[in-house]
Amino acid sequence: MISVQDLKIHYGNFVAVDQLTFQVEEGSVYGLIGPNGAGKTTTIKALATLLEPTYGEINLGEVSVLHEPEEARKILGYMPDFPPVYDDLRVDEFCDLFAHAYGLDSSKRKSKVEECLGLTDLLDKRKALCKSLSRGMKQRALLAKTLVHDPEVLLLDEPAANLDPKARIDLRNLLRKLASEGKTVLVSSHVLSELQDLCDTIGIMKNGTMIHSGTIDEIAEKTNPARTVQVHLTEAFDGIEDCLKNFPVISSVHAVDESRKRFEFIHEGSNQVEAEVLSSLVGKGAKIYRFEPKQSKVEDLFLQVESENWKGEIR
Amino acid sequence: MNPIILRGVRERLRIKHLIAAGLFSLIITSTVYFSAYLNEANGGWNYNPQTGQMEQDEPSPVKGARHAFTFLLSLQGFYLMFLGTGRVAAISAEEKESGLMDYQRMTPMNPFSKIVGYLFGLPAREYYMFALTLPFLLHCIIVGELAFENIVHLYFVFFSSVMLYHLTAHVIGLVVPKPRAASWVSRIVVLGLYVFLPAFGQAGISFLSFLTILPTYFGKMLPELIEMENSEYYRSNDMINFWQDVPFFGTEISPSLFTLIMQGLILAALLVSAYRKWRNESLPAFSKTSGLIIFAVFQFLLLGSLWPFFSEGKASGLLGENFSLSEAENRGGAPVILLFVQSVFFGLSLLGILTLVNTCCPDRHLHLKGAQRANRLGLPSIPMFADESRGTWFVLALGAMVCTVHAILLSQAVATDLFFSIKPELTAFYLPSLLLIACALYLQAARELWFSLGFWGFVGLLWITPLLASLVLAVGWEEKSLDTVAMLSSLCPILCLPQILASHYPIPIPDEHLHILPFGAFTGLGTASILAIVFSIRLHRKTRI
Repeated sequence: MISVQDLKIHYGNFVAVDQLTFQVEEGSVYGLIGPNGAGKTTTIKALATLLEPTYGEINLGEVSVLHEPEEARKILGYMPDFPPVYDDLRVDEFCDLFAHAYGLDSSKRKSKVEECLGLTDLLDKRKALCKSLSRGMKQRALLAKTLVHDPEVLLLDEPAANLDPKARIDLRNLLRKLASEGKTVLVSSHVLSELQDLCDTIGIMKNGTMIHSGTIDEIAEKTNPARTVQVHLTEAFDGIEDCLKNFPVISSVHAVDESRKRFEFIHEGSNQVEAEVLSSLVGKGAKIYRFEPKQSKVEDLFLQVESENWKGEIR
Repeated sequence: MNPIILRGVRERLRIKHLIAAGLFSLIITSTVYFSAYLNEANGGWNYNPQTGQMEQDEPSPVKGARHAFTFLLSLQGFYLMFLGTGRVAAISAEEKESGLMDYQRMTPMNPFSKIVGYLFGLPAREYYMFALTLPFLLHCIIVGELAFENIVHLYFVFFSSVMLYHLTAHVIGLVVPKPRAASWVSRIVVLGLYVFLPAFGQAGISFLSFLTILPTYFGKMLPELIEMENSEYYRSNDMINFWQDVPFFGTEISPSLFTLIMQGLILAALLVSAYRKWRNESLPAFSKTSGLIIFAVFQFLLLGSLWPFFSEGKASGLLGENFSLSEAENRGGAPVILLFVQSVFFGLSLLGILTLVNTCCPDRHLHLKGAQRANRLGLPSIPMFADESRGTWFVLALGAMVCTVHAILLSQAVATDLFFSIKPELTAFYLPSLLLIACALYLQAARELWFSLGFWGFVGLLWITPLLASLVLAVGWEEKSLDTVAMLSSLCPILCLPQILASHYPIPIPDEHLHILPFGAFTGLGTASILAIVFSIRLHRKTRI
C-alpha cells in the first residue's frame, strides 16, 4: 500500500533523508524507529504531502503522492508528534470541523464524530473545550479527528508519547483492529516496547537512512544470527553442560540462576538443531517443562543496531 | 456553510463573546457617534476670522449626521482594518507554526474555499462588531441625507480595502516561515503597501495613491460631507483637490474606479500566491508566468501614470504643484525634476525586480529537485516556465520591460520642449538600461547560488553598507570626500541611476564637481557589470556540475 523509493529530502545543505526505500503492506502496521534526528518525522511529513522531497517516489497504492497530492490527501490520515488543537473549540466541534472539511454529509457527520470519540474514549469529554484537555486527551482528540474521514492510510508520528498505560493499550488494540479492517498504519515511536506487539514490520532509521527493515525476527536474524534458547527444569540436572557442549554449533552455555534449574545456550544453527538438543536432553533424563527460544525485543534490536553502527563509525 | 468560517463563528462568537464584544462595540460606537452628532446637530461653534470671535451655527440634524459620519467610518475601519487584520496575521502565522494549518492543508477542500474561510472566519468577531455599527450608519444616511451612490462607492472600496489588508496578512502568514518574522513582515508590508507606497503619488506615480480608501473618501465623500460648511477653509481643502479624477495616459479616471482596479489587481496577485501556498507549501509564492504578468501590469500602470508628466508636463501631487507653479522659472530646473521622477521610476522597478527574483527564482535545492525530476521524466532540461528552471531569461524579460517603458517615457520627454533645450545623447537610454539589466542578472545569480540568508546578506552588504559609509563621509568630510561618496553610493543602483542620468542632463553643478558624476556612474556600472558576469559564470558552472 505504501511504497517509498529512493527518497531524498534536503533542508538547504543538510540531508535529512537519504536514499530511503521501504514498503508497507496493505492491512499491516509498520513501525518506524530511530534516534532523534534520524529522519522519521521528515519521512512521515513527506508521506503526508506536507513536505516535497528533493528526489524519489512515494506511492499510496496507485496514487503518487508527489504528482497527485490532492488525491493522496483523501486517503490519508495524519497525526503529528505534537498535538496542536483548536483551543477554543469543543472536542466534538473539533472533529466535526474536519468531518465537514472532508466532505461528510451533515446527516452522517454527527454519528461519525460520536463513533470516533467513542473509539478514542472521549465521549464523556465531547463538550469540553480542547484547551481544557490534558496532553494525552488532546492526543486522543487528534486521533479521533484523524479517523473521522475513514482514511485508508494512517500516518501516526509518536502517537503514544503522551498517553497513560491504559490509553496506550487501548491505542494498540485500536490500531490492530484498524489494521485487521484493511487499513495501513505507519507509526513512529520512541516507546519501543509498544511497537513489539503492535507492528507487523519495523524499519530502523539512522541519519536519514534505513538501516534495517522487515519483521522483528528477520531483523534479528540479520543483525545477529546467534539464537538464545532458555531451558527450564523441574529439578537440577548436572550433566546438562557436558551434553550441550557435544553440539559444535552451540557457542556458550550458562546457568541463569543458582539453583541450576534454568539454563541458557546460544547457537548459530536452525530449528532442527534445537529439536535435536531437546530430544538429547530428554533422552538423558533431564526433566524439562519449558524449552523456548528467547524472543528478540525491539529495544534489544535497536540497541544492538545502534551499537553496531557506533562501532562501525569508530572503525 | 464553509467549515472554516463555521469554526471561526464557533470559536469566537459564543454567547459570552457576543455579549462582551457587543457591549464594547455598542458603547464605543454610540459614545463616539452621538457625541459627534449632537455637537453639530445642536449648532456647532466655529471661529469667524472676520469678526475674530467664536460663533454658533444654526441647529441642524443634517450637519450633525454628516459630521458624525467620518467618526463612524473611522470606528468601522478600526474594527475591521486594524483589529481584523491583526487577527488574520497573528492566527495565520500561529497556525502555520503549530501545525494546525497542515491539518487544513490536508483536507480535500478547494484552496479558494480555505482562503475564503480564513478571511471571513478568523475575524468573525470583528465582523460582528462592525455589524453593530450599521444601525448608526443607517441613521447617518437618513438624517444626513447622504447620496446613496456615494455611500455605495465608499463602502465598496471600504470592503475591498478590508479584503486587501486581510489577504495581505494571510499571505504573509503563509509565506514567511517563522511566526515572529511573519508578524513583523506583515506590519512592514501593510505599512509599505498602504502607507509608504501611496506617498509616491506625490511624485507623479498616481496609481500608488489608490491602494487605500482615502482617495474615494476625499474625492467622493468629503465634498458632500462639507457641502453645508460655511468655512472656506474646508472648501479649498487640498486633499479634495488632489483626489479628484486621476490622469492616466490621455484620459482621467474616477478615484473610486481607479482604487477598485488597483485593489483588484493586488487582490488577484495575493490570491494567486495564497492559492499556490495552500496547494503546496514548498512552491514559490508566484510562478514565473504570474511574476511576468504582475510585473507587466506594474510597468503599464507606471507608464500610464507618468505619461501625462513626460508628454505634457502634467502631474498630480507635490510634483505637479512644483512643476506648474511657475513654468517659466521651472524650465531651468525641469531636468532636475525629470531626473527625480526617472529615479523614482527606476528605483520602484528595481525593487519590483528584487522582489520577483527572490520569489520566482529557484534556490539550489529547488533547482536540483527540478533537474532530477526532468531527468526522471526523460526531459532534456527543466521546462523554461517551471518553478525549478533557472531565472536568467526571466530577469532579462523583466529588465526588457523596464527598458521599454524607460525608452517610451524618454522619447516623450525629448519630443516635448518642456525638459530639454538640447536633446540628450543616446547613452541616456543605454547606460541606465545596462545598469538595470546587470543588477537584475547579478541578483538572479546570487539568489540561485545562495540560500535566502546569503542572498539577503549580499544585497544588504552591497547596497546598504556602502550607502551608510558614504553618508558618514558626506557628513564628516563634506566636500573633501565627494569622490569617495559618489563611488560608494553608486554601488547601490538606486543611487547610481541618478548619477548616470545627471551626467547626461543639463543640471546646474559647479565646474569643480563636474567630474564626480561620471566617476560615480561608471564605478556603479562597472561593479554591477563585473558582478553580473562573474556570478553568471559561477552559476553556469554549478549547473554543469
